[in-house]
Amino acid sequence: MKGTLKRILRYIGKYKILLLLSILLAGVTVALSLYLPTAFGGAIDAIVGEGKVDHEKLLGSLIPAGVAIILCAVLQWVMNVVNNALTFGVARDIRRDAGAKLAKLPLSYIDSHPEGETVSRIISDVDQFTDGLLMGFTQFFTGVVTVIGTIGFMVAIDWRIAIAVIVLTPMSLFIAKFVASNTFKMFSLQTKTRGEQTAFAKEMIENQKVVRQFGRKDENMERFDEINERLEKYTLKAVFFSSLVNPSTRFVNNIIYAAVALSGSLVIVGGGALSVGGLSCLLAYATQYSKPFNEISGVITELQSSMACAERVFELLDAPEEVADGDDVPGKTEGNIVFRNVSFSYDKKTPLIEHLNLEIKAGQRVAIVGPTGCGKTTLINLLMRFYDVDEGEILLDGVNIKDIPRKELRSSFGMVLQDTYLFNTTVSENIAYGKKDASMDDIIRAAKDARVYGFVKRLPKEFDTVIGEGNSQLSQGQKQLLAISRIMTGIPPMLILDEATSSIDTRTEMIIQEAFARLTEGRTSFIVAHRLSTVKNADVILYMENGNVLESGTHEELLALGKGYARLYESQFN
Amino acid sequence: MKRLLKYMKGYTLQAILAPLFKMLEATFELLVPIVVAKMIDVGIQGADRDYLVKMSLLLALLGAVGFGFSVTAQYFSARAAVGFAAKLRHQLFKKIHCLSFSDIDGVGTATLVTRITADVNTVQNGVNLALRLFLRSPFIVFGAAVMAFTVDSRSTSVFLLTILVLAIIVYAIMFISIPVYKKVQAGLDRLTAVTRESLGGARVVRAFGREAEAKEKFDSTNGMLNRFQRLAGTVSALTNPLTFVVLNGAIVWLIYSGAVRVEAGLLSVGAVVALYNYMSQILVELVKLANLIVTLTKGVASGGRIADILDHEDEKTGSDTSDAEVAVEFDNVSLSYKGTDEKSISNITFRLPLGGTLGIIGGTGSGKTTLVNLVGNYYPAREGEVRVLGLNVASWDSEMLRDKVAYVPQKAVLFCGTIRENLKWGSESATDEELCEALKTAMAYDFVMAKEGGLDAYVNEGGKNFSGGQRQRLTIARALVKKAPVLILDDSASALDMATESSLRANLKALSWSPAVITVSQRTSSVMHCDKIIVLEEGAAVGIGTHRELMECCEVYKEIYRSQFGEEDVK
Repeated sequence: MKGTLKRILRYIGKYKILLLLSILLAGVTVALSLYLPTAFGGAIDAIVGEGKVDHEKLLGSLIPAGVAIILCAVLQWVMNVVNNALTFGVARDIRRDAGAKLAKLPLSYIDSHPEGETVSRIISDVDQFTDGLLMGFTQFFTGVVTVIGTIGFMVAIDWRIAIAVIVLTPMSLFIAKFVASNTFKMFSLQTKTRGEQTAFAKEMIENQKVVRQFGRKDENMERFDEINERLEKYTLKAVFFSSLVNPSTRFVNNIIYAAVALSGSLVIVGGGALSVGGLSCLLAYATQYSKPFNEISGVITELQSSMACAERVFELLDAPEEVADGDDVPGKTEGNIVFRNVSFSYDKKTPLIEHLNLEIKAGQRVAIVGPTGCGKTTLINLLMRFYDVDEGEILLDGVNIKDIPRKELRSSFGMVLQDTYLFNTTVSENIAYGKKDASMDDIIRAAKDARVYGFVKRLPKEFDTVIGEGNSQLSQGQKQLLAISRIMTGIPPMLILDEATSSIDTRTEMIIQEAFARLTEGRTSFIVAHRLSTVKNADVILYMENGNVLESGTHEELLALGKGYARLYESQFN
Repeated sequence: MKRLLKYMKGYTLQAILAPLFKMLEATFELLVPIVVAKMIDVGIQGADRDYLVKMSLLLALLGAVGFGFSVTAQYFSARAAVGFAAKLRHQLFKKIHCLSFSDIDGVGTATLVTRITADVNTVQNGVNLALRLFLRSPFIVFGAAVMAFTVDSRSTSVFLLTILVLAIIVYAIMFISIPVYKKVQAGLDRLTAVTRESLGGARVVRAFGREAEAKEKFDSTNGMLNRFQRLAGTVSALTNPLTFVVLNGAIVWLIYSGAVRVEAGLLSVGAVVALYNYMSQILVELVKLANLIVTLTKGVASGGRIADILDHEDEKTGSDTSDAEVAVEFDNVSLSYKGTDEKSISNITFRLPLGGTLGIIGGTGSGKTTLVNLVGNYYPAREGEVRVLGLNVASWDSEMLRDKVAYVPQKAVLFCGTIRENLKWGSESATDEELCEALKTAMAYDFVMAKEGGLDAYVNEGGKNFSGGQRQRLTIARALVKKAPVLILDDSASALDMATESSLRANLKALSWSPAVITVSQRTSSVMHCDKIIVLEEGAAVGIGTHRELMECCEVYKEIYRSQFGEEDVK
């Protein structure tokens, strides 16, 4: 909690001037608004009774009051604007850091954390945190200054009564503390349960078709209701406890009010140096006096829940990043790749790839085949450094790929994956993704090469049609073709085609294969496919099983060997 | 909001009691200035110490009773708001399970998730605050005016005018700021989308080395959001200063005009103080009300969005069931998706008996998935009739129908939980033996058993800890657990190698309950053994027959075959 606070302060520190201004304005506006009851008290004292009104004194109090009112209002507005700039600025900065963090998170983090959870850290948690912070600034400072100022003015009017008020104050603080500690506990339980419910709802909503298919409505409702009930319980407590703050402080305030009324009037009756105007002024202060306590304790609860949110954001910011980049920028990429004694597994408990050795010469077309789950995609993950090897090394033109900046390494590969991901933007921007500043001609040429030109022309706005993940107007195959067109705009020295055509019908695929054949000419390329017809022409075929390369050679050689590959090939014709 | 009121049922009492207790509390608060006025006019003027002590105790008592009422009100209000929200979530989640798929496609799953989480939350806050303050604040404001009237009838006009001006100010600010707040919301939505992209598209972004652009996009969206937030803040920051000016201005006027009338002997000093106190009470209350209004408008907007979802019509369902011998029958069926006239499926007719096999083959986007979606009535046919087990799918009870039709989609979806839990979706009562049987049939037994824990091995979100092919085999196994008379494999073996697939095919043939199997694929090798094959192109059947027949007379089929097996094999 302390660390969180420190980090929040560091973010705020950037806005020192705004912060100072905010504090200064809080002081001035509070002083002005506190001056008002005194002025009004003075005015009331000018009214003694029938026929006894001191007009000079009356106006002498009311005119300065009017000026103070207007000045105070203007400054209040400026202060609010400053506070907005400050808190929204902090939110923007935290989000900016989180946004930058996204690019540095290792794929292992992204693969193992639900997307919705990370999104909610960046969106709703920062939002709630900002709300709390804004409340803190608008109310905390003014609250504290008001309390101190009020005490000052009260002492000036009658110190005995002021002391009575001060003595009763801790009551309010005590209540606030009790409420806050209970609320915080409930708030964190509530947040946790809400997260659980969101995750469940999201999963079931996104896969409604499967849910219906299996008639899981009742089971789902049961599970949902179970979480819902827990959430209701915690929320009720959290809401109720936090809503106790206002009545409690109001209660304390009413007691103080009564005490001021009593002691004040007794002082007047006893012939003390207090006037009726002075008493009404004291009463006005007494009303104002507890309001900040209300607010301060409200702010404390709010800050506590916002602190919990900040903590969740910082957790994301603290997640381990991809290990530091190398800085060995290679010259022209030839494309010689060597795997030397490489071992890797995802969960470190189940070994996958163990002591793998491979040598691939520049310009070779390498096909990787094998039963599902044998580690084909894992090889690609390692090559692209989406994951780093546990042991051994992978060399590109003699340089360990760990020493090459990731960006350089990755840009030397053109990649089409089975899981196509299209961005939520126009078709042309999606195609141009492969090459910065691609011209419209480049885009159209790429579209033609990847055989998407025809269906893109049939889309409502052709190349300007907005597509994206949530968009169901494209079939899986069409998405895959678009993903292929991406690498057609700017062709890198090496290629990775991981089941790149698995969702495309074979007639279209044949045409694409021709384009691929042109592409892969003279480029080191890795082709993962289960359709063996697409890998026949590779220079080297690697047959994998359980993370190991068992056979390697040309199609004919492997067939002649009569082992795994041959069996796989034969099975096509059974 | 009105549309949601019926879900308040069960909390009606709390929802009535909460504001009622709040009003009682407010009444006690309104009495305070009168008591103080009495203390000044009677106690102080008459130097009556006993009276002063009594009145002060009365003040403390009023405070204590008010506190009791208030706590009670807070409890009732929290109870009602939280209970209402829980009920809404329940209703929404239930509703989502009843929506038609065209509606789900139209609304979007991300939106549905937001409705059930963020929107319900906003409504809860709105209801809670409304119950607590919405009656209390106006009651105090007008109550103060009424009390002022009892103290001094001539000051009523000042009070009423003040309230009117304040109402105009609050309304005007709302009028200006609500559209800006909408922009803020839109900015947030955009930022959410950009964030999702950075996560979901991480591999692509990195493969193309576009991290810098992704970050730039994030930053510019973030910056835009910031500008809207500040704009909205600047406008709504006007509320407090403006109300402050109006109320204090009114106090100045009250004191001044009060002074004139005290001088003329028409008013007591205590009365002036009381008027001043009432005006101050309005000030305090209005500040709260202004904050309430923002929360309330947000709540109403969210409530409207929730009601929109709840107002959607349920998926149409019949109530009949059947057990006839003909598994699936299409009679001149056509379908077009919502919003277009373009037919996705046109004039399909076929008949598939129990135990029979049907292959559906065609290129990307030819309508294969659409066709099989008709069998489970996920989308209703526009023309013609789809019959399952002899009964039109429109007359089937949807749940019963889907129980008869086991559908394995192209995208293999698994859920968080153990493998056993996932498989049991097929049938809650399935024994481990039956589960293993299904796994063996689906060629998934070996890799499941190799996992630590076997059936109890954990499946991560979306099944990310399994390879694509493993996920597909698990979803096939899950469907087999159902032992449904109709089994549809929608390209669901696409990530399997040929050897595994051919074993799977053999296993399916040997199933004890011999279901009718529909296999959708782009590979001829997957469908060539079927009793009947439909060749789809642009939604129409360009060929129906056995492999042999189609090789004779269907050009499209021949071309597909050739593209997969090469020229020499055709002969």
